[in-house]
Amino acid sequence: MLSRATALPKLGYVSASAAFLLAALLGVLVADIAVSALDPWAEMRRLLAGLIRPDLVSIELRSVVWTVAFAVLGVSLGATSGFLLALGFARVRAIRVLSAFLRSVHELFWALLIIQFAGISPLTGILAIAIPYAGIFAKVFSEMIEEADLAAERVLPKGASIISTFAYVRIPELAPQFWTYTLYRLECGMRSTLVLGFIGLPTIGFHLDSFFKQGHYPQAAALLFAFYLLIGTRRIWARPATLPLLIVVSLLVLPEAYPGGSILDNFLRFASQIVPAPLRGADLLALATWSNLTSWFSPILTRQIVPGIVQTLVLSQIALVATGLLALGLFPLICRRFAGPVGRPLGRVALVIVRSTPEYMLVYVLLQLLGPSMLPAIIALSLHNGGIIGYLMGRHADELVYRPDAPKGLNLYCYETVPRLYGQFLAYMLYRWEIIIRESAIFGILGVATLGYYIDGAISEIRLDVALVLILATAVLSMAVDKLSRMLRKRLRVEAMPTRLSEAPVGSGSDQARLACIR
Amino acid sequence: MKRFLAIVTGLVLGFAGAAAAQDKPPFVFTAIPDQDETRLVERFTRVADYLQGKLGVPVKYLPVKSYPAAVTAFSNNQVQLAWFGGFTGVQARKQVPGSDAIAQGAEDVAFKSFIIANVSTGLKASTEFPKGIAGKTFSFGARASTSGRLMPEHFIREAFAGRMPEEVFSRVGFSGDHSRTIQVVQSGAYEVGVLDYSVWDLEKKAGKIDESKVVVLWETPTFPDYQWTVRGDVDAVHGAGFKAKLVAALLAIDDPAILSQFARSKFIPARNADYAPIEEVAKAANLLN
Amino acid sequence: MSALIALSKESAGYGGRAVLHDIDLTIAAGERIAVMGRSGAGKSTLLNLLHERLADRTALIPQAAALVKTLSVFHNVYMGRLDRHSTWRNLRNLVRPAACDISAVGQALAQVDLADKLFAPAGALSGGQQQRASVARALFNGRPVVIGDEPVSALDRVQAADILQKICAGHGTAILALHDIPLALAHTDRIVVIDAGRIVLDAASRTLSPADLIPYYGG
Repeated sequence: MLSRATALPKLGYVSASAAFLLAALLGVLVADIAVSALDPWAEMRRLLAGLIRPDLVSIELRSVVWTVAFAVLGVSLGATSGFLLALGFARVRAIRVLSAFLRSVHELFWALLIIQFAGISPLTGILAIAIPYAGIFAKVFSEMIEEADLAAERVLPKGASIISTFAYVRIPELAPQFWTYTLYRLECGMRSTLVLGFIGLPTIGFHLDSFFKQGHYPQAAALLFAFYLLIGTRRIWARPATLPLLIVVSLLVLPEAYPGGSILDNFLRFASQIVPAPLRGADLLALATWSNLTSWFSPILTRQIVPGIVQTLVLSQIALVATGLLALGLFPLICRRFAGPVGRPLGRVALVIVRSTPEYMLVYVLLQLLGPSMLPAIIALSLHNGGIIGYLMGRHADELVYRPDAPKGLNLYCYETVPRLYGQFLAYMLYRWEIIIRESAIFGILGVATLGYYIDGAISEIRLDVALVLILATAVLSMAVDKLSRMLRKRLRVEAMPTRLSEAPVGSGSDQARLACIR
Repeated sequence: MKRFLAIVTGLVLGFAGAAAAQDKPPFVFTAIPDQDETRLVERFTRVADYLQGKLGVPVKYLPVKSYPAAVTAFSNNQVQLAWFGGFTGVQARKQVPGSDAIAQGAEDVAFKSFIIANVSTGLKASTEFPKGIAGKTFSFGARASTSGRLMPEHFIREAFAGRMPEEVFSRVGFSGDHSRTIQVVQSGAYEVGVLDYSVWDLEKKAGKIDESKVVVLWETPTFPDYQWTVRGDVDAVHGAGFKAKLVAALLAIDDPAILSQFARSKFIPARNADYAPIEEVAKAANLLN
Repeated sequence: MSALIALSKESAGYGGRAVLHDIDLTIAAGERIAVMGRSGAGKSTLLNLLHERLADRTALIPQAAALVKTLSVFHNVYMGRLDRHSTWRNLRNLVRPAACDISAVGQALAQVDLADKLFAPAGALSGGQQQRASVARALFNGRPVVIGDEPVSALDRVQAADILQKICAGHGTAILALHDIPLALAHTDRIVVIDAGRIVLDAASRTLSPADLIPYYGG
């Protein structure tokens, strides 16, 4: 213990937090956060009026059904592939790298690539969810496998095969956690289908996008409420017993895709177009080809990748710190000690709404209200992520055992609750960091000059080679942040934090799985 | 479990069979989403009905969310016909060799854009290029729009000695479509913007423009714009003479309800060569390889 | 001397299950009482009951030291008086402790021989040091009654004797659960023994010898 401590000096919570805060303040200095709308309140009033009077008749039921169907099929496929990957995750480095790559590219970017050959079809919707989710499932499932209680394994007779050991000991031990986590992911999957709707798949997101763009707020509100209802009732309709039925029904109701050309032809064309332009049909042995490639790549690097990464980092750093502040401010809303019997249910509803609201939609609306700048993205990211972390922190806070003479109110909060939970809090923030990076990148499509802004440009110019290079840049960025975050968690000694709740009195398998959702 | 698998397999095969049994594939078209979607759906549903009557095959309209999505659907053969802008048409025909521009609005031969401004800027309408817009915040429409981006950018570069819009304006944004360009300039989110003149007229007729807040500063010189483009392999799929029948049907549109929704007086023949100037400008602006 | 608290035929327990039955107990201000008995007999329940009734006059030393491990020893001890300072001052002390509070907390820590650990993180203390920090928090709290649940269990007998003396000197009345018979007889003036939820012995310390108490711990 001591020798490890000297090898890796422990980083203090305070200095780590101060460093993040400082980086965010520097970010604020260079960030573009002006409010430029002349009259944001007029639009805001129309929006609120719409939210109060949702036009429930206008809901296109098919889009609600398809939202569930895409999520069910995408998540099921992702979970199955993720499970298979998880089996070799700990042993095979290639699997770990593959999984890290799959999850480092946002669903939206996967969809933008897949749509190029699979068109606007159910296949695109399902794959765009299944591919990144497979990477996430692989990591989380493998962590669950590693952390499983192996007491029973020791009593098995010698010579029991690996497979039977796995089937008799590990699977029964882990199945409840796997199920809980998979079903929770269904909720994330439905949020992902919304984003896919914004690029043309026929989910709720498709109509939400249209209604918001045209300022049809009562219709948009009705759809949003339908979405909250789906998320809020998820535990009722999505259970291990109903999942097979959900899968079959989802397959049955999938929208018919217009047949179009052969997928193979389309894929070959796509494959030829993602090859960098200077290499297409060029002599790979000629020096000129490679100098052409360099002169093709260097402006992409200097004019798109570098400024895109800088803006992505600035946005995500500010949003991360704002998320933290918001989470610390919000979690008392759902705590027994702070909110009281009336406030607590209200606080829960508020936090569920805040975290279920699709960030992408929120950015879009805020852009209308506040005008173009980074501010809408910062607000949306911190509301969404602050809602999630606040919710989890509130649950932890309710499990704290205070001494009988503990102070009350703000004193309790500052002297007992926050100091006790701070390690946990930092662990969550560091987990969320990579996710915030990925989301910052996609907001570029809405006009914030992060990497997504340039990806949108490349797609508009039908330059798939450039788009692919930029998407790979987002992947590298988020993998690097993931690595940095893991290193910091080690230095801060908060590595094991999130899963520790399973040892707490009320913590159960389901809690552990829910915590894993933060990843 | 086994029975479950059998059911699923049966269902999947059943579906595949049903799909294969459809002997008459529908004829599907799309359009670049250049303005309010409700209006587009109304307009193109009407066009679909009209074409179905004339062509004798099921005709469907596939709404898409972005300009490049329309081009992609066309290259994937998910749609066989599309109402493209000048630039997206060039992109699409480059993606699908053998495809042709077949019809355009009479107005598309000499199309133009309006540069508009929020009245708070104090800028006034003029016949000369309004150089006073330099330093303001500026919104284009979609990135791949001809009248909302490509041509205005070209005129801006001409007026400001080859400087890029990012160097001329304090902020450059892309609203996504022409209707929203009006919205963002009217709300003041952007001070100046540029859009398709026909959408300005349509929105004005619909009463959505508050002229105490937003005014037209300047209209650009003319350029060729929208056109119907069709894939070259439609005759192979739908029978010989299908393309000719389609061209005839498009040119024969005389229903005032349809024409007024397009803000066009009638449709006239078009050729790929009509859009050579657009291609040249796009190459010069490095938007096309 | 007036009665500080008088319990008559009281029962107490958790979740509907009674742990204490028919408790008759009167405590006068100024008494030093040792509550003794087997583990599970109901000592902690009795102390909790007394703490509930006397909360506004009591400094508590809970069984687990209950320190916030991420905060410094200073902050943990300062917590003993949170309720008597303005919230603003408490928040300021969290970031930048005031000199007068540092010296006051330092004095409390000096009594338990921890003055050198003033700004060490509480999580870095040993078990015995944590217990002493918890005692210092009660001393700093300074209310007239101290209720301690095994406040010196992690200390050796010499140190325990010293700390018990400080606890008794720092508060007018002391009610302490103890398991060490000689320590209890030496530092308190009244012994209350609980067995299976009932008071089975309540007598002045000077009238008792260790032999009188050993039966309550046997078997």
